[in-house]
Amino acid sequence: MIKRISYAFRETIASFRRNVTLSVAAIITSAVSLLLVGATFLIQRAFDNLLVQWRGDVGMIVFVRPDVTPEALTFIEENLKSQPNVIDVGKIAYLDKAGSYEEAKRVFAGDPTTLSLLSVETIPSQFKVVPKTTDPELVRSLATQYRTLPGVAGVSLAEDEFDVISTLSGFVRTVTIAMSLVLLAVAVILIWNTIRTAIFARRREIEVMKLVGATDWFIRVPFILEGLIQGLVGAIVSCGGLWTLNKAWTSGVAEFKAGTGVSSLVVPGSYVNGVMIALLIIGAVAGGVGSGVASSKFLDV
Amino acid sequence: MNLWRGTCGGAGLNLNNGKGFTGAPCGTTCIARLCYFMIRLENVSKMYGNETPAVRDASFDIAKGEFVFLVGPSGSGKSTLLRLINRQERPERGNVWVAGKNINEMANTQIPFLRRGMGNVFQDYKLLPNKTVFENVAFALEVIGKPKHVIGQQVPQVLELVGLSGKEDRFPHQLSGGEQQRVSIARAFVNRPLILLADEPTGNLDPATGEGIMALLEAINKTGTTVVMATHDHRVVNAMRRRVIQLDRGVIVRDQERGVY
Repeated sequence: MIKRISYAFRETIASFRRNVTLSVAAIITSAVSLLLVGATFLIQRAFDNLLVQWRGDVGMIVFVRPDVTPEALTFIEENLKSQPNVIDVGKIAYLDKAGSYEEAKRVFAGDPTTLSLLSVETIPSQFKVVPKTTDPELVRSLATQYRTLPGVAGVSLAEDEFDVISTLSGFVRTVTIAMSLVLLAVAVILIWNTIRTAIFARRREIEVMKLVGATDWFIRVPFILEGLIQGLVGAIVSCGGLWTLNKAWTSGVAEFKAGTGVSSLVVPGSYVNGVMIALLIIGAVAGGVGSGVASSKFLDV
Repeated sequence: MNLWRGTCGGAGLNLNNGKGFTGAPCGTTCIARLCYFMIRLENVSKMYGNETPAVRDASFDIAKGEFVFLVGPSGSGKSTLLRLINRQERPERGNVWVAGKNINEMANTQIPFLRRGMGNVFQDYKLLPNKTVFENVAFALEVIGKPKHVIGQQVPQVLELVGLSGKEDRFPHQLSGGEQQRVSIARAFVNRPLILLADEPTGNLDPATGEGIMALLEAINKTGTTVVMATHDHRVVNAMRRRVIQLDRGVIVRDQERGVY
């Protein structure tokens, strides 16, 4: 068994040497496409951080002072419910201090200074409000009215905060996903073609192998391994690129003033690691499948 | 897994067909029922596209240990017959039996094991140019997973048999045509196959060198290996006086013991 494995690896390396240019092309393409796939994940995650407060069509957030009395809290809630024409009353949600603190961890992901000033005790709780009306002026006038209520720390409107970002995020996501899918397909085709060339270069050898009774898998495995390694190496390169990209991005974001919202666009390291593992798996699988198909088709064994 | 140790098939058991009887059992599980024929073709036809068939309604039996010439002009179907026997081709009609097994019904996954019992020799040698003599022969054992010590033992033996001792480290391009063919025969025989299929093995060689190759094939035949050789070389056929199956445009027109071309 060990002999077989070492044989397969020897053949894989030899084939790679014979075909350096094509192999490098396949690796670079898969690296670039996987980098784009990874970047898409990160961009999505970064925008999600920014938008986490506003999930589910929330149009207005009423922040409640942390030291609010229960009476004042009830008063605010009743005030909100008294506007069924403007506000979707059924969707009013109250996020208590603990929940708000969890959310803040994401909103201030890139702003540890602000985050360190917050605690479960000192953080404002919040009412998330989904407007019923499509007239922004109506919501705005309501916001002005709520700001004066006792116990209210402030009111934020979605359209002030993130309208542009939200639109941009959707657009960027679509474009990057489309591009990465196309590039991934190109990478698979390139790997496929590399394997086809490798098989063609060794057709005499393969003929002899078949005639002396080598099994199909014995002939196939080195080729599949070659494609798999090409995909994997491409993925490793793309992981390096992604890591560098994220590092540059994080330090770039840190230079913005706190509270501008940009600081939310930081992606935590654990998430980046997860994306990298996903890229390695995608790369290996794409390479293995591409070469597997090519070797079945062209070996005709 | 060894296909060559199976039970006998329905064919190849015709005890009243006297020709080529050797009485050799084909495998361990059928000692009581003697397996006669190493190779049997039953009404085999093979077509390439819609043209006239390459082989038409061919039937013959070849016993274990026989030496058979397939003769006929170019394009008469000699090579196709060999390719039907090692299942590089499948016939449109008829059955091919090898060692008691109908190889047309054999699963594709079984074919490698069928071929491990066969050696193939070609007119153009089909040696791998980037491998030495030793490596070319060892390759046949490596790809079927033989351990290193077996390779180290069997390869020098077979190279001595074919008269190439001392040339282990040469590359094919450093050898004469006759020597290259000897390497190819060594590669075909190193696994001690029961059948050796040779397609014009002397086709590229001068008569004297060809004689040497024929002596080698005869020696291999004497070890009990069935040899089937396609040729249009009159001299070798006439000199050997072995069974001759003659083909003309895909049809067997003669099957003669101790025949001439």
